[in-house]
Amino acid sequence: MRNQQQTATMTSDRQPLLQGHTVSKYFGGLAAVNNVDFAVYPGEIVGLIGPNGSGKTTLFDCLSRLQKIDSGQVFFKGRDVTGARPYQVARMGLTRTFQSVRVYRKMTVLGNMLISHQWRDTSLLRMLRPSPANTARRANQLLGFLQIEHLADEEAGHLSGGQRRLLEIGMALMPDPDILLLDEATSGVNPTLIETIKDRIRTLNDQGKTFLLIEHNINFIADLCSRVYVLNHGEKLAEGTPQEILQNEAVIDAYFGA
Amino acid sequence: MGAEPPANKSTERSKKKPPFPLLAPVRSLLSGWTGLAFWLLLLLLLALYPYTGVSSVALFVGSQIFVLVTLASNWNLIGGMTGYVDFGHAVFFGIGAYMMGILVTGTPLLISPEWGFWQALPVSGVAAALFALLVGLPTLRLKGPYFSIAMLGTLVAMREIARVLRPITGGGVGLNLPPLLNRLGDYYLMLAVMGLVVSLIWWIQRSEFGQSLIAIREDEIGAEMRGINTTLHKIAAFMIAAFFTGIVGGFWAWQNTYIDPDVVFVEARTVEMVMMSMLGGLGTVWGPPLGAVVIYYMEDLLWANLFDSHLLALGVLLVAIVLFMPEGILGTLGDRSSTSLGRLLSRVGRSK
Repeated sequence: MRNQQQTATMTSDRQPLLQGHTVSKYFGGLAAVNNVDFAVYPGEIVGLIGPNGSGKTTLFDCLSRLQKIDSGQVFFKGRDVTGARPYQVARMGLTRTFQSVRVYRKMTVLGNMLISHQWRDTSLLRMLRPSPANTARRANQLLGFLQIEHLADEEAGHLSGGQRRLLEIGMALMPDPDILLLDEATSGVNPTLIETIKDRIRTLNDQGKTFLLIEHNINFIADLCSRVYVLNHGEKLAEGTPQEILQNEAVIDAYFGA
Repeated sequence: MGAEPPANKSTERSKKKPPFPLLAPVRSLLSGWTGLAFWLLLLLLLALYPYTGVSSVALFVGSQIFVLVTLASNWNLIGGMTGYVDFGHAVFFGIGAYMMGILVTGTPLLISPEWGFWQALPVSGVAAALFALLVGLPTLRLKGPYFSIAMLGTLVAMREIARVLRPITGGGVGLNLPPLLNRLGDYYLMLAVMGLVVSLIWWIQRSEFGQSLIAIREDEIGAEMRGINTTLHKIAAFMIAAFFTGIVGGFWAWQNTYIDPDVVFVEARTVEMVMMSMLGGLGTVWGPPLGAVVIYYMEDLLWANLFDSHLLALGVLLVAIVLFMPEGILGTLGDRSSTSLGRLLSRVGRSK
């Protein structure tokens, strides 16, 4: 299945992995997300950019089911997940990170990783026992992959901001998801670490993982993404390849402020 | 990309940890299987205690302490590990007590003949657990202080309901249970319940279920987004905590031979549980039992020496705990940097 995803070309007649159909979300009278159509195809790296307050994170929350949407539908793997709970889409293979990092501060780095395993087939009996050896093996592998294995026994609350972001990415990878939604994975991260993250995303994408990225770092987006969506005032302003977006007049007006 | 050698990093880390020769091993000794071994040894010694020819008063005191340890451990499961600070946990105690009272006195609930203690005791627990399910479904959606207040409201409401439901509960007059004293039996029963509950908490804490509860405490949205059915896990923890609190309530009613709304639905009992857990160390396995014992003897001491102001002294103690060692005794031993008392201790330790 992975090979299929890898070799298949991206054409719009293929079934999207994650799709939002006329998604709207209001906070009081404010339309945080307004009638947005959205699709991510298997094997893609898609960027989502826009000024502050343009509704990127809210759209993320709608797609990952953290926020109830007011109208529209969300499909994941062809199934309507509009009414699903976050843990359900997580078990189906969607994981994400958060703009304000969410790690379990009082637990060790390894503990954070262990508890983020795939819960899909976890039986009650399994749950009543400590984490099995293969979960620990996978956790250590991923910590090595993200180059933070030396921190395994440290409390997550003691890590630096950048290390926490890496840990959160690791936690999102633990259940072997099909798609990862990364919300500003590079903010507060030093340039070397950003290169590491970029490199890791590429490697994972080569292995068949799909990515959706919210980013303010335009170089990061331009280097990685095949397609970019631009939001402004909750509405879709533009979509296209990074090159198209960078030359789009409306985007330049709204976002780059030239 | 080449992986950097982690070797020098780890030595750096071990150097950073402040040396504190006397107390540091305590925590590592208590963690894992050695902790359980110590616990089982202690239970064995306590089981042999009555054979040393002690008075029935000593046995009574023993069973009272076991009650407190069990209550504190139970509260810790929902309040300490899951992070839902339940200010109305005594409501489950009251439900258990009333269930026992109603079943064994055979008041008009169409259950005849009246039940024996051993049949009624598990029902007390089950009733409390079912009540936890009923109350938990709406209240566990609330966060932080809202949950605490809602549970406090539940406690007060149940007290009034028990007062009003005269035909079943005897109203404000209360219920008199058959006075059958068996101090030795009480001692062993509560020893068994305490042993079971604390061992269970130990087991839960190591399990993925227990770790998921801690994850919920640390970041509930994160836990939900990473595949944990937070509602289910919270309710399960709540029901387990309520079940054993109900058992203890049922036992207490039997031992006390009299219940009315004002003696079983008491806020002070919840406050006691909170205090004992906090003093020992919230969210730790051995902290709440330790805190319960310390508080019991401290209350005893204060009551004997300054009868007029012992409640005031206890209040001051609670404030002091929150201010100087919010992580409790065990937390202060383990991670000294996060409490002011712990920082003081490590400073003293280092200056030597």
